[in-house]
Amino acid sequence: METDIAVKASKLSRHFGTFTAVDEISFEVKKGEIFGFLGANGAGKTTAIKMLCGLIKPTSGEAYVAGYNINTDSSMVKKHIGYMSQKFSLYEDLTVKENIEFYGGIYGLSRKEIFEKTKKLLSELHLEKMRDSLTKALPLGWKQRLALSTALLHDPSIIFLDEPTGGVDPISRKNFWRIIYEIANQGKTVFVTTHYMDEAEYCNRLSVMFKGKIIEIGTPTELKNKYNKPSIQDVFIELVTRN
Amino acid sequence: MRQIFYLIQKEFRQIFRDKSMIGILFIIPLIQIFILGNAVTTDVKNIKLVVQDQDKTPYSRELLRQFIHSGYFKINGIEEDYNKLSSYLDSGKANLVIVIPKHFQRDIVLGNKPDIQLLVDGVDGNSSGVSLGYVNDIMQNYQERLIEHLPELSLQIKNMHRVEAEPRFWFNPNLESKPYIVPGIIALILLVITLFLTSMGVVREKEIGTLEQLMVTPIKSYQLVTGKIIPFCILGLLEIMIGMGFVYLIFGIGIKGSFFLILFESLIFVLSTLGLGIFISTISDTQQQALFMAWFFMIFSILLSGFFIPIANMPPVIQQITRLNPLRYFIVILREIYLKGTSLKDLIPETLSMITFSACLFFAAVIRFKKKLG
Repeated sequence: METDIAVKASKLSRHFGTFTAVDEISFEVKKGEIFGFLGANGAGKTTAIKMLCGLIKPTSGEAYVAGYNINTDSSMVKKHIGYMSQKFSLYEDLTVKENIEFYGGIYGLSRKEIFEKTKKLLSELHLEKMRDSLTKALPLGWKQRLALSTALLHDPSIIFLDEPTGGVDPISRKNFWRIIYEIANQGKTVFVTTHYMDEAEYCNRLSVMFKGKIIEIGTPTELKNKYNKPSIQDVFIELVTRN
Repeated sequence: MRQIFYLIQKEFRQIFRDKSMIGILFIIPLIQIFILGNAVTTDVKNIKLVVQDQDKTPYSRELLRQFIHSGYFKINGIEEDYNKLSSYLDSGKANLVIVIPKHFQRDIVLGNKPDIQLLVDGVDGNSSGVSLGYVNDIMQNYQERLIEHLPELSLQIKNMHRVEAEPRFWFNPNLESKPYIVPGIIALILLVITLFLTSMGVVREKEIGTLEQLMVTPIKSYQLVTGKIIPFCILGLLEIMIGMGFVYLIFGIGIKGSFFLILFESLIFVLSTLGLGIFISTISDTQQQALFMAWFFMIFSILLSGFFIPIANMPPVIQQITRLNPLRYFIVILREIYLKGTSLKDLIPETLSMITFSACLFFAAVIRFKKKLG
């Protein structure tokens, strides 16, 4: 079934005991879109993204990612998505090259593909010189870009980024977003959570989460016009105080 | 299959990148074998003996001479004052006190059966039991010699000892404890290394976040578990080979049976410890938790393995519990192959028990792993 919808969630919920982390959220993400999940810490962004990636199971509701049901077809979902979390997820005691080789191998790339991808990635990231250094020796901004690249090794159609730029300096963040735009230009869907308001402005479409619910959804311009505010930051503060 | 290869490759790279790991894996076990092999011994030697000879006749002196010549005892003093004897036991200067009564010689010659008094330090029940055994042996010998040298002794004494047991100890003729203890130590080291490494290994990945990253890949739980287990299996087998080589070099203890049978049995055993390690990993959230849990299981396994305390001496309920302990079977198997050269045919019950445990623990680990995702 060919559609232009990359992610579709309907009434997706997740409870932890009596606590409702995500409360019946519904939304659609179009192919090639940069879709932002905006929210304060603990608003349920990470839980929502983890459900979409098949890391945790929803308590109720369902979602389709890349056309596959996350409840019944999670292994197919996993084949078509890339994921990069706020926790830095490369092996620090492996070299740059070994990390790429490992994740390539896990995604089932052939030896030849791994070799070519490694070469291409290292030159794109200007990491040729660091090829054989341990990953822990890299500055955080580089690590994050490397992590993003390894999450893209298997050429996924959707990439989930969970607060990818946490703790990174403004210049590195800007560079990182340049890469996100490149990815989107290749026709991939980018699903990103953040609590940096300036980053929210870069998204094609935004959803604002508060206490597990999506309280607003739209393009940054739409939201600013609707609430008559100059920036997303002001919109966000307005929304949160109102609720 | 290819995914598993990459997991194994990664695991080995991580292990050998860490220089201290190499020490932990290969140097420390050797030191342990060396020190424990020499320290843990059930041989009872150099029993401290204090003597009071109230008779002072050729007969009593001959008896004491036999004690000295046996090689098990060390005369730590001769005490004339009967009231002071207990102070030797109190202060630990004696493990055993012998009092030879007055008229000892006269009573023997008259056939009056004199009594010798023994005071034994019973704190270490095992050792005191063994030393009593030695004393009885010596007394037996003494009486036989008396009979030979004193044909005038009445026939009735001779007749008392008509039936005699002549023990021959097979497989370990001198009843040395080293050949018995040392294979057990190899088993302990194998348990400790493999259990701790795996239980920490998975939790570490959980802590740093790489496990989550692996979970969003299409990789299956069983592949992940297998990829963790195989490297440590290989390490475990390497470890046991080095251990056996070292045991031969230091203690001169070789394997009577098949080397490959030992490797085969080790493999089965290691699968159970690795399965347990991974299971521990799945139920703990931090390396600290995993460490404590592994420690608990380790103590339980070692104490209920028959390594220190013979299982036959345990209360019946505890004996049943030891059946749940793979180490129990593995130690028996190692000792059998080491000392007796037993073949697989005669080790089938133990081997099957271990296979059952390994399979159960492995599947429990995989299932827990899967659940963790849900």
